Amino acid sequence: MSESTLSRPRPRPRPRATTTAIKRRGGKGGPNWAAHLILGVGGLAMISPLIYQLIMSISTNAEVQSTPPTFWPSVVQWHNFADVFTSMNFGAQLGVTVSITVIRVLGQVLLCSMAGYAFARMRFRFKGPLLAIVLSIIMVPSQLFLIPQYQIIQNLGLLNTITGIVAPGIFSAFGLFLMRQFFMGLPDELEDAARLDGANPFQIFWRVMLPLAANGIWALVIITVLWSWNDLLWPLVVTSTADAAPLSVGLANLQGEHSNNYPILMAASLMAMAPILILFVLMQKKVMAGIGRSGLK
Amino acid sequence: MSRLDTASRPRTDRAVSTQPPVRRKGHSKSDGLWPWLFVVPTILGIGVFYLWPIIQTFYFGFTKWGVFGGAKFVGLENYVRMFSDPTIPQSIVNTIIYTVIVLLGIPIAVFLSSLIERPGLKFAALYRTLYFIPYITMPAAVGIVWRLIFNGDFGPINWFLSLLGIQGPYWTSTPGFALVAVAVVGLWMSLGFNLIIIGAGLREIPRELYEAAEMDGASRSRQFFSITVPLLTPSIFFVSIVSVINGFQLFDLLYVMMGKANLAMPQTQSLVYIFYNQAFLQNDKGYAAAIGILILVIIAILTAFQFRIQKRWVNYV
Amino acid sequence: MNQHLNRRSFLSFAAIGAAAVTLAACGTTSGSSGNDAAASGDFKAPAKDLSATLTYAIWDAAQKPAMQKIIAEFNKQYPNIKINIDVTPSKGAAYWTKIQTQASSNTLPDVFWMNGPRIKLYAENNQLMPLTGLVSAKAIDTANYPKALVDLYTVKGTFYGAPKDFDTSALFYNKALLKAAGVAEPTGDWTWDDVKKSGAAVSKFYEGKGIYGYGGDLTGGQTSYYNTIIEAGGTVISTDGKKSGYDSPQAIAGLQFWRDLISTGVSPTMQQLTDTLTSDMFTSSKLAMTMDGSWTVGPAFAALGADLGIVTLPKGPDNANSVIHGLANVIPANAKNPAASQAFVAFLANEESAKIQADTGTVIPAFNGTQQAWVDSVKSVDLNVFLELAKTASPYPASQNTAAWNELENTLLPQAFAGVKPVSEIAKELATQMNAALSQES
Repeated sequence: MSESTLSRPRPRPRPRATTTAIKRRGGKGGPNWAAHLILGVGGLAMISPLIYQLIMSISTNAEVQSTPPTFWPSVVQWHNFADVFTSMNFGAQLGVTVSITVIRVLGQVLLCSMAGYAFARMRFRFKGPLLAIVLSIIMVPSQLFLIPQYQIIQNLGLLNTITGIVAPGIFSAFGLFLMRQFFMGLPDELEDAARLDGANPFQIFWRVMLPLAANGIWALVIITVLWSWNDLLWPLVVTSTADAAPLSVGLANLQGEHSNNYPILMAASLMAMAPILILFVLMQKKVMAGIGRSGLK
Repeated sequence: MSRLDTASRPRTDRAVSTQPPVRRKGHSKSDGLWPWLFVVPTILGIGVFYLWPIIQTFYFGFTKWGVFGGAKFVGLENYVRMFSDPTIPQSIVNTIIYTVIVLLGIPIAVFLSSLIERPGLKFAALYRTLYFIPYITMPAAVGIVWRLIFNGDFGPINWFLSLLGIQGPYWTSTPGFALVAVAVVGLWMSLGFNLIIIGAGLREIPRELYEAAEMDGASRSRQFFSITVPLLTPSIFFVSIVSVINGFQLFDLLYVMMGKANLAMPQTQSLVYIFYNQAFLQNDKGYAAAIGILILVIIAILTAFQFRIQKRWVNYV
Repeated sequence: MNQHLNRRSFLSFAAIGAAAVTLAACGTTSGSSGNDAAASGDFKAPAKDLSATLTYAIWDAAQKPAMQKIIAEFNKQYPNIKINIDVTPSKGAAYWTKIQTQASSNTLPDVFWMNGPRIKLYAENNQLMPLTGLVSAKAIDTANYPKALVDLYTVKGTFYGAPKDFDTSALFYNKALLKAAGVAEPTGDWTWDDVKKSGAAVSKFYEGKGIYGYGGDLTGGQTSYYNTIIEAGGTVISTDGKKSGYDSPQAIAGLQFWRDLISTGVSPTMQQLTDTLTSDMFTSSKLAMTMDGSWTVGPAFAALGADLGIVTLPKGPDNANSVIHGLANVIPANAKNPAASQAFVAFLANEESAKIQADTGTVIPAFNGTQQAWVDSVKSVDLNVFLELAKTASPYPASQNTAAWNELENTLLPQAFAGVKPVSEIAKELATQMNAALSQES
């Protein structure tokens, strides 16, 4: 993300660490191989349950359920991954997951940035109490909302629709708070300048503040995507047909009454995780930069 | 999260400004109707979908609810029952212990981040990915794997302990150990997220601070504790808030890892688990609502406490 | 947040709260308590071209193919009734959470699965449509199903659920393990003592190898202690569903059976049983004998093949009976299209559907005489055992709020089995708490 001089007025240019500079200096504190050892062993430990999951996904159900479980399948069962498509409506549900995630993200970005800006920079009555109420809602576990939200959605006739799934999710107390914090970290001068130029608050927001909000929005996007992708309880209750449900629900439905097909469950879970993982790998730099400058500090 | 106190707002790395920011002089106290345009959609949505249910829950805490509707006002009966139920304080203790163990992930994340963010470290991106993957897995599937890992007879953890000559317990069914097992999984899942946030915060620390310290002869560990950690406090604050919130929401992991009829359940279950149990399995929504309000109060106190003391230890730059 | 903010916000919050309580009082009777005058007149088969879209809610993904076949057959008679299957797993009560939420807002599926623990809850709260109309029109003949099942789904004299399938429990054993240990195979005349003796011999033989003689799934009662309580001559709950049977000496004897097995090393410990499913232990040849339900036949045979043996339950002090449980198809009281729902339920309950279920080999259909296909699914063992047990079986213990005291069982009984406290003490404690829960029921 390029550093606009507007976003962070600095007294003098600050050189970011460059690899050449460090190589010249010879690395800060301690040999790098020690770091690699610690990180490598740690990384392996972190990943090992998922490697195990991968092994389970290419085994047979009997091998998975045997006690003790087999370490490596006698015959690698790649077909389990293909079987996922026949065991659940993977394609349609992936579409639903993507749709609800995108809608939730867009909705939250728009609504929370507007509201966050207003709470940060504008003056209006009840601002204080409203903010306190919003804060208190952030902490409440989602299970408490389940039945009331269901009744609202049902009264609106939105059961088993994408609209019904996303409706509560686009209003986020956490998102509002995040954006508010971010906007409070931006300098005043730009707004004052724009106001002197005669712009109305919406124009100020749209033309001046929002472009500066890129980093804050990044943080919001990331957190919302991660939450929405695996969100289970609410979509489970709201949807009733397989093709209207997201992946998380489809995966949960793979569990049978008396028996489970573990390999397919594991394979499906890995496949459901893949898009996010790929996204993360590709966007890692942007993610780190975005969060870092998002005013979370 | 950034300053909540609008009076002093330093926002550059210049010396902390003690002047109040120049406010729009000559304008009225309110900005008229404009703010409402910005605020109403979100506030309305939050009010309908979140605030209203909380108010409903508050009311239902004073009722005995029929399974399918129809409430009877019973006053404080649910609360009396709740305060004389021994599983409730035990579950609060469980949740606290769980959250504390998960919070241990923060120093671990700070340490690992400081290694990964070393300038010029090869494979940094790979490491970050490896540590992040657990955060995006689905608890339902991964919980099954962890249950096998903690298996008392042939799980790898007990196997490893046996190499050290220790007889490992039946983790998921022994009181105390079950909570540790579940907390380890919780820590494992959240470490990646903490790492990203703290790593991002680390990258924002100006390099020349370290250079200056080095020229002054400060040792590496001195640099770490005097520069890195203080400047990381905002990120640490953020992840600790998120960790506490998530700690109190411990739920699906319990279902997958513990199952039912588990000897260790009273010493492991969380308040939210009890809430869900009462609301959906026992069909006692009035009692569940009372528990819900208790959860709300506890989290409110905790978060207020965290926000209050943050001024003491969080440094905003 | 600074002080000023907190005080102001508290006051405004309190004000909002007070206003809202008044509002909330108006809105609480959301969620219907059902329709007393549910359509229960005589059923007349609707016209064949009746058009409707129904939702059929089930919880076992493994049975979905069978249900779809049944729907296909149904559509031959009623081509314009479209039926969508909605699978929600019963794990973690997800299915029941959803059904309950739907009941609270009058959006129950048009036909859905019901089980023994919950039938009274839904029936007595007027959520279900009685099937008396179907019975009197002879669209469903209750003589076609095991009596215990019909009784299970008859609440206060009204018949609500068309039995779909049933499970009973029997004694499974591993021929190879027994032979190697030099222990004789179980026979239909075995008693509890035979189990204890042979089990002890097997455990002793395989000591240190992690193989046990006999074990049952003590994380639930259906395949273990419910059966032994009955066999000792006790009951879990009185027939009118008002009083707990746990404090009787017979019930205590039924529970003691399992504790004795664990304490003498015949059975894996309670903790091992929580760590690993008994059926997994059995299919991995870590357990020589087990008491398990009919649904385990398929996986057990797949794992053990010719080494699998099945006999009827060992005889307790009083009898050798099993508990019977089975699912039923029910219709909500406020069904959108009662005629279509009833036609479908009648079809689900008929012989043809039962045969389709039997052919899949996953469940034992409830319709008498259709089970042959299931019996034939594994020829090397005599699966008639399960059918015989169904004739003398006791209905699954249930009350209006079965879940409440199931929870008590799951909290208290493991302590008895693990020897944390004496069985009689836990049993009496359980009975006390269970009676308290039962007295709360309306």
